[in-house]
Amino acid sequence: MTDIVATAPPRFARTRATLRRMFANRSFMLGAILFGFICLATLFGPMLIPTDPNALSIRNRFQPPSLTFLLGTDNLGRDMLARVLYGARLSLAIGLAVILLNALFGVLLGALAGYYRRLDNILMRIADALMAFPAVLLAIGIAAALGPSAMTAVIALSVVYIPRTARVVRASILVVRELDYVQAARAAGATDLRILWKHILPNCMAPLIVQLSFVFAYAILSEAVLSFLGLGAPPTVPSWGVLISEGRTYMREATWLTLVPGIAIAITVLGLNLLGDGLRDVLDPRMKVEQG
Amino acid sequence: MIGYTISRLLQAIPILILVSLMAFGIIYLIPGDAATVIGGPSATAEDLAQIRANLGLDQPLYMQIVTFYTNLFQGDLGRSLMLGIPVTEAIIQRSPITIGVAIYSLVITIVLGLVTGIIAALNHNRWIDQAATIFALIGVSLPNFWLALVLIVLFSVQLGWLPTGGYIPFTTDPWGWLRTTTLPALSLALLQAGLLTRITRSTMLEVLSQDYIRTARAKGLSEWVVVGKHALANVMMPVVTVLGLILSVLLSGSIVIESIFGVPGIGALLGNAISSRDYPMIQGGLLFVTAALLLLNIVVDVLYTWLDPRIRVGGGK
Amino acid sequence: MQSRRLLSLLAPALAAGLLTSTSALAQAAFSCPQTGGDLIVGMEAGVPTLDQHTATSSATRNVAMNIFETLVIRDAAMTPTPDLAESIETSEDGLTYTFKLRDGISFHNGKPLTTADVVASFDRYKEVGVNRATLDVVEKWEATDDITFVITLKQAQPTFLESLSSYTVPIVILPAEEAAKPANQITPIGTGPFKFVEFVPDSHVRLERYDGYVANDTFGDLSGFAGHKQACVDTVTFRMLTEAGARMAALETGEVHIVENVPAISQERLAGTAGVEVVRLENFALNVAYPNWSAPPTDNALVRQAMLAALDMEEIMEAATDGAFKLNPSFQFPDTGYYSTAGEEFYNQADPEKARALLAEAGYTNEPIVLLTNQQFPNMYNSALVMAAQLQAAGMNAELRVLDWPTALATSEKETAGWNVFFTFWATVTAQGGPTSLRNLANPNNVYKPVNNEGDAAFNEAFARIQSGADLETRRAAFAEAQAIAFEQVMAIPFGIMQNAQGIRANVENYQPYYNTRVSNVWLEQ
Repeated sequence: MTDIVATAPPRFARTRATLRRMFANRSFMLGAILFGFICLATLFGPMLIPTDPNALSIRNRFQPPSLTFLLGTDNLGRDMLARVLYGARLSLAIGLAVILLNALFGVLLGALAGYYRRLDNILMRIADALMAFPAVLLAIGIAAALGPSAMTAVIALSVVYIPRTARVVRASILVVRELDYVQAARAAGATDLRILWKHILPNCMAPLIVQLSFVFAYAILSEAVLSFLGLGAPPTVPSWGVLISEGRTYMREATWLTLVPGIAIAITVLGLNLLGDGLRDVLDPRMKVEQG
Repeated sequence: MIGYTISRLLQAIPILILVSLMAFGIIYLIPGDAATVIGGPSATAEDLAQIRANLGLDQPLYMQIVTFYTNLFQGDLGRSLMLGIPVTEAIIQRSPITIGVAIYSLVITIVLGLVTGIIAALNHNRWIDQAATIFALIGVSLPNFWLALVLIVLFSVQLGWLPTGGYIPFTTDPWGWLRTTTLPALSLALLQAGLLTRITRSTMLEVLSQDYIRTARAKGLSEWVVVGKHALANVMMPVVTVLGLILSVLLSGSIVIESIFGVPGIGALLGNAISSRDYPMIQGGLLFVTAALLLLNIVVDVLYTWLDPRIRVGGGK
Repeated sequence: MQSRRLLSLLAPALAAGLLTSTSALAQAAFSCPQTGGDLIVGMEAGVPTLDQHTATSSATRNVAMNIFETLVIRDAAMTPTPDLAESIETSEDGLTYTFKLRDGISFHNGKPLTTADVVASFDRYKEVGVNRATLDVVEKWEATDDITFVITLKQAQPTFLESLSSYTVPIVILPAEEAAKPANQITPIGTGPFKFVEFVPDSHVRLERYDGYVANDTFGDLSGFAGHKQACVDTVTFRMLTEAGARMAALETGEVHIVENVPAISQERLAGTAGVEVVRLENFALNVAYPNWSAPPTDNALVRQAMLAALDMEEIMEAATDGAFKLNPSFQFPDTGYYSTAGEEFYNQADPEKARALLAEAGYTNEPIVLLTNQQFPNMYNSALVMAAQLQAAGMNAELRVLDWPTALATSEKETAGWNVFFTFWATVTAQGGPTSLRNLANPNNVYKPVNNEGDAAFNEAFARIQSGADLETRRAAFAEAQAIAFEQVMAIPFGIMQNAQGIRANVENYQPYYNTRVSNVWLEQ
């Protein structure tokens, strides 16, 4: 850990150099392409395919993929292409909401714990308790109290992942706060808030962004598992998790019902993971020697 | 070191109390009770009332809480509503099963994660690196219940290599145990191997760029010696770090995986306790699981401190 | 001879049952062509407990009813039939029932069965038995000697044997020392053809043949839960495989011999798989929803009738069962004693125009109609989904409220607001005839939540006659009357009959599908 201290932290002033390294990084680019594809499909797909994802058509049950139904239909004759595209909105929205909450509370709590030593012990013990509590049960409890909904999934997943994010932020703050220029700013009489905001937080961005890209991926997956347990998003606007968990009864006979949302989840999570890996390579100071 | 261990153990006590209170809060926020599960779809109001009386659920809430804590301080976690046996007994019966599968799964995770991570790092930025990364990430990209069902179709139905589920205790038949636990362990391991691959890869890259490795290479030592002797020792550190996290995710995952494969472990026990609103079982199971995870984390931390004394200075404990 | 006397006593009540039983008598008694082997059954649900007095779940019966027996139970035609009893005599005034035990019966612990055990079991059932209301009409029971057990009623109830033999929560006979134990704490010791070996919750239950079993020779073969039972296989392992995909895979690989509940869509594929057969139970359960009479707008009978008018049952059943269904305008299964189609003009109307007219008459102003359902049982969820679409098409503001099963059931049971229609299914209660099938709609159960829990007066009057009618004709008429009221007032909506399929390996012989899994008289071709 001492060797990190010796390395100067990357400044955001070097944005251009960083960008160039990003474009040169294969993981990052592949991840960006995959995730970008999913985002575009999510944003514009429903406009191009105006089919109602919830329109029942009992006559057209279990149609395999064909020209009429590009991705087939499900057990109630609903169009899978429309469902997977509309489902993407909910799944990505859940992921996005979770990382926003994570960014907000993770940074706040992590910064408090890392910067103010007195709060550290209390906050980290609460984080320990939350992390030791099996995530699924926490989600079930919250889902039961609020009723299963997308919001429930977001809250449950946030509560599960915020302590982990806070830990990451805290760890990098512990390192950064001891650096010379932070000490210098403190000696110059800067307020705690200013030091945190101007000097410390910018230097925690790299691990935070990496962490959040993984949290996004985990959130989408965990939402699927919650749906499997009947506690995810409400099934009227199906998330990918709901689709895959509904389709599993027909896994052998109507493979496309699980395959389509499964591949969608896999592409998204894979894209995000590659993106996160690439970012880590590019932003992590420890990688600089190798990259340089 | 001993002082540190003791202080960590003492800190665990308030966490356990916190967890037990959280469990109580959650349990009593949940509508529905064990009677509705035992009763099933055709049950009448009369049936449900009788089942509640049999289970002691007709007692007022505060009485149930008082009873629980009175018993707890006598070391008694109560009796499972569904199984009719003491909660402690159920936990003692079930936990070795999950621990066995978890260890097996951990071995697969570590082997898979270390090997892929090291191969990726040694071939940094070559296609093998990308391929290894993507291979590792596929496991992380699929919902575990779906992965489990796909593994069953592949390895049991199509190839006929392994049974679709069930559980044979190690003590009865070690070979049978291996056959029945391989798919559950693999389903759990694939989730985690990706994480470990990434960590191994980045640590390995860092280590490989260190001066002493360069020196070793410059001295003309073979790559095997460099990697095996100098690099690997340093890679074990981050593995130990994520061990706690991996185990806690394994446990969460086992709720789903054990029920799919019919492995009667603590995951299935807790999962069914939750879905059947078996309050004493949820309470007791949760306390046990949390205590076990906390203990593991303490062991990991102590191990970590022992491996790398710098952390105590840097971490400010 | 004595059993003939019993049958003649019951004959006016249950003509259909009489025929089946006499033809059974004519056959030679069943004898296992082959013995041995471990029969493995893949169950669809976990077994919560083996204490049969305290559990309504069908998973418990699937295992426990191979271990335990009762004095009197239903045969294949749902007729009350003596099992542990040799004979049952009813006094002229209908107040006294005298049961004589069969000779030579012993419990799995080796002790002979006596009426002391029967008394202890009845005492326990009165205390913890889920359907103990069955015994409310009883003044007392006593053992007059080792083989004679007498029940005296407070007032005559012609359907007493019907309710005593109900197997939803059967009054199984335990040894007196087990019957002294509290709920859920017994060791499962019974008199049945199989004895208990081990129970590993969430995993399996293992039974083995009880060599001291004495079969009931008045029958030729198994009939319902009664009849001539014999354990052909050495052991039976009930494995709990709740995930349908994993359960089907286990059948395909031959790891299990019998699986419960084959999803409709898998039936064709499995039927075409070598070494696998699919057997079906045509009348398994009634897919049912009931409205909430306390919450607006379903407190208005016209709105309820509008809902019923809008429904296309065929579409709902197709979605609920993936095609494994029969339409049925009744609360009973066809070809059973109480079957009636009274009120069928209200069934499967699929008439949105009529619905709109009724809504206008009701002064409906687009209040939300909340359909309370869950995803644990796909039939309930899919029924709600299709029903919502049909109601919307007829101008109703239908919305889904999806909770998990325990929460949904508790909400429908305890809350009178927040839901308008609740979805469920009725299986054993429907199979067992008129009184039990409408029990949920009668006082004091009233699942449709009438205001102040005061059920529909005309319905309850008719329901009372289903139980008290002196002969079957009277009772059937009363049932038809009650059913017509239930349809017209929309107390519950029976969408149709759900079928159930089980998968078996080709080497499993003589397995017959039933409402519960029975492993007696089943052998493995070796």
